[in-house]
Amino acid sequence: MIETVIKTAYKAFGLTVLSEIALPELPTVQMKNGIYDILVEKKDLTTLWSTQKGKDDYFVINEEFILFRMPDIAIFLIQNGNRILVSPAQNTNEDQLRLYILGTCMGAILIQRKILPLHGSAIAIDGKVYAIVGDSGAGKSTLASAFLNRDYQLLSDDVIPITVNEENIPIVIPAYPQQKLWLESLNHFGMTSTNYQPIAERKTKFAVPIQSQFAAQRLPLAGVFELVKTEKEEVEIQPIENLERFYTLYNHTYRNFFIVDSGLMEWHFNTTAKIINKTKLFKISRPLSRFTAYELTDLILTTLNMEEKAHE
Amino acid sequence: MSKDQITKNQFFRQVPGNIASDMDGEKVMLNIQQGKYYNLGELGGEIWELMKTPISMEKLVTTLLSQYDVEPNECEEQVTTFLNQLLEEDLILIEEQS
Repeated sequence: MIETVIKTAYKAFGLTVLSEIALPELPTVQMKNGIYDILVEKKDLTTLWSTQKGKDDYFVINEEFILFRMPDIAIFLIQNGNRILVSPAQNTNEDQLRLYILGTCMGAILIQRKILPLHGSAIAIDGKVYAIVGDSGAGKSTLASAFLNRDYQLLSDDVIPITVNEENIPIVIPAYPQQKLWLESLNHFGMTSTNYQPIAERKTKFAVPIQSQFAAQRLPLAGVFELVKTEKEEVEIQPIENLERFYTLYNHTYRNFFIVDSGLMEWHFNTTAKIINKTKLFKISRPLSRFTAYELTDLILTTLNMEEKAHE
Repeated sequence: MSKDQITKNQFFRQVPGNIASDMDGEKVMLNIQQGKYYNLGELGGEIWELMKTPISMEKLVTTLLSQYDVEPNECEEQVTTFLNQLLEEDLILIEEQS
């Protein structure tokens, strides 16, 4: 029996991804002369996993590859910054599979390619990019959504790829045009959840496609806002200074536990130093007691305005 | 360790596994194993560079005196304080040489 495998080319994180697993979240592209950056293929990795797995039940990370197993979903192997091999478990859920390919696997690819992935949302304001980082549930996507409602553009809503150019300026590469929003946020913004696709297993988080408001251009990173929740009643903003900035950028590097074992800590340190030299970092406290997305938008815009005036 | 405990036979050198970079014109350092960051400052960065190969206290001070406009006593005091901090953090080590 002859099996034909159909592969489709997609664009994500500034890279051409040729995949035999359908990735409908990504825009498709025409390959030029058959050239692509990343190949996603299915391959049986059960033997490799049984010989490689060590003390960690989930991850094997070294300078050559990143191998990980998500029980009942798949085993994934990421190599050379250009290859993702997927070994699906029986009766795996395709949505779950894609979540890991576009998330953890792409994060690994970016790190292997020495593109720094920050975990958060990136928005464009006056031709510059501002990253909103924070722990899970901090309100990153919701704040990004408030900016979108005010006609600003989005470059990423989960993994923010950053490279440093020859002039030592950090540049943000657009990820792909999709947002992930909690049901609660959809309701606050007056959006109807039945119009959107729930994200695998998470029945309360939805995929929201972004078209016209997706910034397709690479733009310089000018600032990072770390969002934290507070029991206090008022929103608050304060600069993050000195060495604290290194910890902030390390803590919010996507899948940062890949870095040391991949032998890339020196690269990460030098890259974050360059980012620190060209950007401002702030911590924003968000009260838990009410919906503050628009208040925070105003606070950020005012802060940026004041910064600009101070430099005139 | 106090100032008078440093002898002429003691040579100071960097412990491997620390990498330096630049932050706003100051030398910053990362200890890869501990994931800990340090700000050595501008002068501290100079001293750190000098300790790539083992160097005595005396040589450190004379080198710095030739580069910076500072009183010898004050210089020695500052270097001593700095070295003690580095020793405390296990960022440098002492080699006895004769």
